[in-house]
Amino acid sequence: MSDARGVLRLESLSRSYGPVKALDGVDLEVRAGEMITLVGPSGSGKSTILRLIAGLDRPDHGRVYVDGADVARVPPHRRSVAMVFQDYALFPHLTVRGNLLFGLRVRRVPRAEADRRARAAAERLGIADLLDRHPDQMSGGQRQRVALARALLREPSVYLLDEPLASLDAPLRFATRADLLTLHRELRTTTIHVTHDQQEAMTLGDRVVVLAAGRVRQVGPPQQVYDEPADTFVAGFLGSPPMNLVPGGGVLGGTPDETLGVRPEDLALAPEGPVAVTVEAVEALGSEAVLLTRCADGTRLTVRTGPRPGVGPGDPVRLRADRIHRFDTATGLRR
Amino acid sequence: MSRVRRPLTPWAFLAPYAAAVVLLVVLPAVLNVGYAFTDHTGLTRDPRFVGLANVRRLLADGFLLDSLRASLFHLALAVPVRLLAAVGLGLLLAAPRPGGRWFRTAVYLPTVIPDVALAVLFLWVLNPLYGPLNQLLRLVGHPGYTWLADPTTARLGVVLMLAFPIGEGFIVVLAARRMLDGRLYEAAALEGCGPFGQLRRITLPLLAPVLVLLAVRDTILTLQVNFVPAYVLTDGRPANATLYLPVYVFDQIFEFSGFAYGSTITILLTVVTAAVITGLLIMLRRWRVLR
Repeated sequence: MSDARGVLRLESLSRSYGPVKALDGVDLEVRAGEMITLVGPSGSGKSTILRLIAGLDRPDHGRVYVDGADVARVPPHRRSVAMVFQDYALFPHLTVRGNLLFGLRVRRVPRAEADRRARAAAERLGIADLLDRHPDQMSGGQRQRVALARALLREPSVYLLDEPLASLDAPLRFATRADLLTLHRELRTTTIHVTHDQQEAMTLGDRVVVLAAGRVRQVGPPQQVYDEPADTFVAGFLGSPPMNLVPGGGVLGGTPDETLGVRPEDLALAPEGPVAVTVEAVEALGSEAVLLTRCADGTRLTVRTGPRPGVGPGDPVRLRADRIHRFDTATGLRR
Repeated sequence: MSRVRRPLTPWAFLAPYAAAVVLLVVLPAVLNVGYAFTDHTGLTRDPRFVGLANVRRLLADGFLLDSLRASLFHLALAVPVRLLAAVGLGLLLAAPRPGGRWFRTAVYLPTVIPDVALAVLFLWVLNPLYGPLNQLLRLVGHPGYTWLADPTTARLGVVLMLAFPIGEGFIVVLAARRMLDGRLYEAAALEGCGPFGQLRRITLPLLAPVLVLLAVRDTILTLQVNFVPAYVLTDGRPANATLYLPVYVFDQIFEFSGFAYGSTITILLTVVTAAVITGLLIMLRRWRVLR
C-alpha cells in the first residue's frame, strides 16, 4: 500500500448532468509525485474530474483509485485529497487562523498541536503575519495562499487545484505560478491542476491532459503535446495564436484527404518562399509581431515574426513553412 | 460663476412619505407624550396638566403588573419559538427539492390570513371538546387541556397561534441561506464537517447578522401583535393571564376612558421594548456573535 501512496488512477470515468455528458469514459493514470495539468475549454469536464476525485460528486460509471485503493465508498474527508477551489472558498466569518484551524478542529487535533501546525503552514506560505485578518481584508494573492495553506494542513496524497490562478491579475499570476512550482518541488506530492490558460498548461506540470467534450484528447509532456498534437482539436487549442489548419491540396500542398497544420512561428518571411500571401494586418506585441495574411485562394495564415517585421497591410510577401503537421481530414487524427 | 443648484427631485419623491410619517407617526407620538401628563379622557376637549400623576398611578397599579408579567412571558416564549420556526423551516426548505415550492407556500400561507380570521380558527383548534389539538392529545392517551380557561395554557395557546404567521422571517432566512456560497459547504465536507457541524460552524455564524435583525424585529412585533389573538381568544382573561400591554392600553383608552393613562402605558411599552433590545444587543456583543 505504501508503494501506491500518491498514485491516482481514473478508470473509464463517466458523468452526465441531465442530457449533458460532462465526462465520457476518462482513463488517466498519475504517477506518485507527478504534477498533471488538465486543460480544455469551458465545459470540457476539467472541474468535474476534480469533483469526482474529491468525492464531492459521484460518477455514473467508472472508478477512482487514490493510493491504489478504490474510493467509491469513501466519503470526501476520508480520501487523502485536498482541494483548492477557484475562488478559494475561505470561510468569510473566520480569520486566517480560524480558516487554517477549521479542519484540525473538526478532526479534534489537540489545540497546541493544531496551533503549531497552522503556524508552520502559514510560515511556509509567507502569511504568518496575516493570521488575525479576515478574508475580506486581504488581497487575492494572499487569499490564494491561505487556501493553499489550508490544503497543506491536510497532508494529503493528492492535491487538487481548480484554476487556482484564475482570479489573480497578470503579474501576480506569473509570480504565483513560480511559487506553485517551487512548492510542488519541495513537497513532491501528486498534484492535479486544472486550468483553461494555455500558458499555465505549458509551464506548470510534468504532463498535460487536453480535454474536450468530456473526453481525453491527448496526454503527454507539454512540449511534446505542443510539438506533436494528436488531432486537429489539440493543434488548434494549444498555442496562441493557434495553429494554421489548411485543407490538403491547397497552399501548403498535401493530398485532398488530409488537413495540414503549421504553427505561426513555423512560418517565416522568405523572399524565395513557396507561399505567396498579402498582409492584411500587423499586430505588434512589443517583443514580437503577428501578421494576419491571406493567400490568393482565400486561405488565411497567421505568421509570428520578430518585432518590427518591416511590412504593412496590403504588402505582398512570401512565406516558408518549416514544420508541417498532417491530420486525417475525416477523423482529425494525426498521421 | 453660477452656483450649482441642488436638484429638488429627491426631496419631491421623499415629501409624500415624510409628510405621512410626520402626520401619522411623529405628531401622534409627541402628542401621546404630552397627553401622558394630563387627565385627558378622550371624551372631553379640556385636558388639564396633572404632572406625574399618571406615572404615580402606574407604579401602584396591580393590573399593570399582571399585564407586564403577561407581556414578558409572551415575549420570552414567542420570540424564540417564532425565530426557531422561521430559521428551521427556512434552512430546511432552502435547498431545491421535489415539491419544495408547495412546502414553502404552505409555510407562508398563514401570514396572509388576517389576524382575526386566524384567531377565530384557533378558537376552534383550541376548543377543549372538539378542537383538533385535544383530539390529537387524546390519540396519545392524554386527556387534553381546557386551553383558554387555564392561565398558563391560555398564554401557550396565544404563543402557538403566533408561531404560524412567520412568513416574513422565513423568506428572509430562505433568501439569506441561498446567498451563501455552496463551495464553503464543499470545503467543509472535505474537512470532515457533517451536516450538524456545517450548520454550527458555517450557516449560523454567516446568518448571524440576519438572525439578529430578525430577533430585534420580532421583539418589537411580538410585544404588539398579541393584541388580536388576546382580544379574540381570551379578552385578556383568564385571571389577567393574557392581559398583554396592548390589550391593557386598549382597555384603558377605549373601555375606561383613561386616554391619558393609556398614553402613559404606551410610553412604558416603548421603554420595555427598547430595554429588551438593548439587553439583547449587549448579550450578542458579549457572546461575539457579530464581528
